[in-house]
Amino acid sequence: MLKPILLVEDNPHDLELTLIALEKSQLANEVIVVRDGAEALDYLYSRGEYATRQKGNPAVVLLDLKLPKVDGLEVLREIRGADGLRSLPVVMLTSSREEQDLIRSYELNVNAYVVKPVDFKEFVRAISDLGIFWAVLNEPPPGSQRYVRPQN
Amino acid sequence: MTSSTPQVNPTFDLSSCEQEPIRTPGSIQPHGFVLALDATGRVVQASDNLVQHLGKPPAAVLGGTLADAIGAPAAAALQPELQDERVRERPSFAATIRLSEKDHCCFDVLAHRYDTLLMLEFEAMTRAGAADFRHLYPLVGDFLQQLNDSDTIEQMSRTAADEIRTVTGFGRVLVYKFDEEGHGHVLAESNDGSLPSYLGQRFPASDIPKQARELYAANRIRLISDANYTPARLVPPVNPLTGAPNDLSFAALRSVSPIHLQYMRNMGTLASMSVSLMVKGRLWGLISCHNAAACHIPFDKRTACEQLGQILALRITSREDADELQFRLEVRRVMVSVLAGLTQGADFIENMGSVFPELLQFARAGGAAVAVDDRILRYGDTPDESQVRALIGWLDQHTHGDLYHTDRLVEHYLPAGAFLHCASGLLAMPISRIHKHYLLWFRPEFVHTVDWAGNPHAKEAPPDAPRQLSPRTSFATWRETIHGRSAPWHPGEIEMALEFRTALLGIALERAEQMAELAEELGRANKELEAFSYSVSHDLRAPLRHIVGFSDLLLEAAGNDTLDKRQRFLKNIKESARLAGKLVDDLLSFSQMGRASLRPVRVNMNELVRSCVDKLTLDTQGRHVQWHVGDLPEIVADPTFIQLALYNLLSNAVKFTSQRDPAIIRVDGRRDGTETVFDVSDNGVGFNMDYVHKLFGVFQRLHRMEDFQGTGIGLANVRRIVERHGGRVSATSSGGHGATFTFTIPNTLPSA
Repeated sequence: MLKPILLVEDNPHDLELTLIALEKSQLANEVIVVRDGAEALDYLYSRGEYATRQKGNPAVVLLDLKLPKVDGLEVLREIRGADGLRSLPVVMLTSSREEQDLIRSYELNVNAYVVKPVDFKEFVRAISDLGIFWAVLNEPPPGSQRYVRPQN
Repeated sequence: MTSSTPQVNPTFDLSSCEQEPIRTPGSIQPHGFVLALDATGRVVQASDNLVQHLGKPPAAVLGGTLADAIGAPAAAALQPELQDERVRERPSFAATIRLSEKDHCCFDVLAHRYDTLLMLEFEAMTRAGAADFRHLYPLVGDFLQQLNDSDTIEQMSRTAADEIRTVTGFGRVLVYKFDEEGHGHVLAESNDGSLPSYLGQRFPASDIPKQARELYAANRIRLISDANYTPARLVPPVNPLTGAPNDLSFAALRSVSPIHLQYMRNMGTLASMSVSLMVKGRLWGLISCHNAAACHIPFDKRTACEQLGQILALRITSREDADELQFRLEVRRVMVSVLAGLTQGADFIENMGSVFPELLQFARAGGAAVAVDDRILRYGDTPDESQVRALIGWLDQHTHGDLYHTDRLVEHYLPAGAFLHCASGLLAMPISRIHKHYLLWFRPEFVHTVDWAGNPHAKEAPPDAPRQLSPRTSFATWRETIHGRSAPWHPGEIEMALEFRTALLGIALERAEQMAELAEELGRANKELEAFSYSVSHDLRAPLRHIVGFSDLLLEAAGNDTLDKRQRFLKNIKESARLAGKLVDDLLSFSQMGRASLRPVRVNMNELVRSCVDKLTLDTQGRHVQWHVGDLPEIVADPTFIQLALYNLLSNAVKFTSQRDPAIIRVDGRRDGTETVFDVSDNGVGFNMDYVHKLFGVFQRLHRMEDFQGTGIGLANVRRIVERHGGRVSATSSGGHGATFTFTIPNTLPSA
């Protein structure tokens, strides 16, 4: 099985469009959706709702910058400070192209920073490129494991 | 500068008088005698005219007691008056004594302790009784009664002169004031006609040497009874206790300079008396009394005159204070109204122009000018603009400090000779510490004549003239016409001007603070704007993106089965949404353009153009576009910004050639002196040159929306980028036959 993609997105429209885009890219990877930073961390640390999930890190985290509760930068900082998560690929997926956001993300060693294109075709292409690169082409760090769908 | 001819033989430089030892003449006037006692009461020095007054030579009394010298009864009468605490540095009246029964003559005895000795001065009197001070009080009372509060200094001086002439019987009493240069100016005169009048005349400063002035200040009254006197020597000739010549500064009988006696004889006055007028600790002037014949004024009357002089000095002090206060109040009143006027508007120099009349009044000037940066504003009677400019240049070079003033500019600044009539006097106030900003007041020439009692220009004597020490011999009026001077600047005006300057700098400072506040406010507004643009970029883009996305999905899903109308609506939604998104992006990059700092590096323009063309191929798919790119020179610039500018220009060209087949787009570049010039030209629709000035403005569109899409920010971005590099943009078009956009980048970037 392929490693899952962790999508952190609070906006339902963005979520839907992103899922459609991933679908259009015909990636076979499972997409785990969490709706805010806290939930993302719960997933990554396998705690709370995700305490029983299959061990292993996702292939990539697609992380929205603006999030309720714990925002994208804080999630990124947490990941980079945690032993088992430090080398996890994280892509900032955001509407903001503000320089300060870019700088802060790169200071926290983000793997990529992608501004969501306005044009849907471009959006689909961007998401598809991302998915293919990180979920298929990229050789993930040791510790990432094939995904097994959790039993509800 | 003098128009009249001196009628007298050249007089000689009397400045050597300053070396005369007037405090230690070694002799006394012979109308009395002196006995000097040491601390034990022994006579250690006596004047050699003892023989005339006492019938014995000094040798007969030296070493003995006072009683030995003047007899026991007289000594006994004096003794109680000679207690230590009673006798000070200034002579005080001790007693009137008679030395022998058969003699009519008696002596007023004055005692003072100075220069280690107890000096007893015996002034011979013709009257029989003791000195009587009782008439002193009515005299002083009378004088005070005659004075009115409203009297001018001249009027008060006249009253004092009359009073003193009455008391002393002198033929002529003058009251004169020293000006700043030390010349004496006769303010008041009381004259019985026996001597010529000197009212209004001036005595040159050299008439009274410096050390004489100091003595006048120390010892307030001096009498010379007879200018023909033969001085009586002190025996021994030096103070036996100090071994140095006696300091007779306070001795009433002190002998005066032979030069002065000659001066008196030349002047035709055998007796003279002067009373010092001390105002605020300074020798303000003198009451100078003259008599054609010799005449002695006894101590009591002298005391009365001294008192009167002190009262006059006090009245002068208060009068001057009151006048000064009045003057300052008036100047201040004007200053306040000037300052009020200055704060009215925003432009300092224009405000200054509006208060010119008050400015003139403030400094009692005939003309004024203000110079700020290169602007010079003149008002009233002033030198012309180029003269003012030159004068400011000179001031800037040669004056330092808060204020420069002169009532004789031409003596310091020769070119002022060209505008004496309006600017003999100058008050210049620098109103900036950094720039050559000045406020100038001009005072016109005040041509006046001075009547000198003798030629004051003693130094004009021929250099080969004998330089013997000799007073001048003529006091005939010598009239001088003064040119190149203005009315003098009053100290109150100077002080007020300084205060005014402080206030002005205060205003300037306040203005600077306001500017700082404004800048701070702008900074805040800018921050808000950034926040705004951030939220526009981030929050507004999202829904727009959604509209586009869902429209696309809808369009896809609808396929051919859906109504055309519905499709068209959806298409419209999509297009407008896309445009809105692009607008936001462009706005954001435009606002970033102003803030982001340039990171200039060497830029290969050929590569840059190639990458832009690659990016544009999507837009030109299905079109026939010919790119003609010359061999472009390298530049030093911020590559990201330059690429954006270039991309904007090229996409513009692509856009406006959409109806051409083939579309021809050229990019050329060349070095041109200090800059590199690039042209982007096309064969598109071009634009109307009437609107060329609008072309590079934000949100300016020269075409209909349905024909060519665009947010109208692209060219504004181009201009901003190029100007931040220190270059220029321009565009030309011959409507319908394409357009050429040109931009330049300097070979050396501005340091900013």
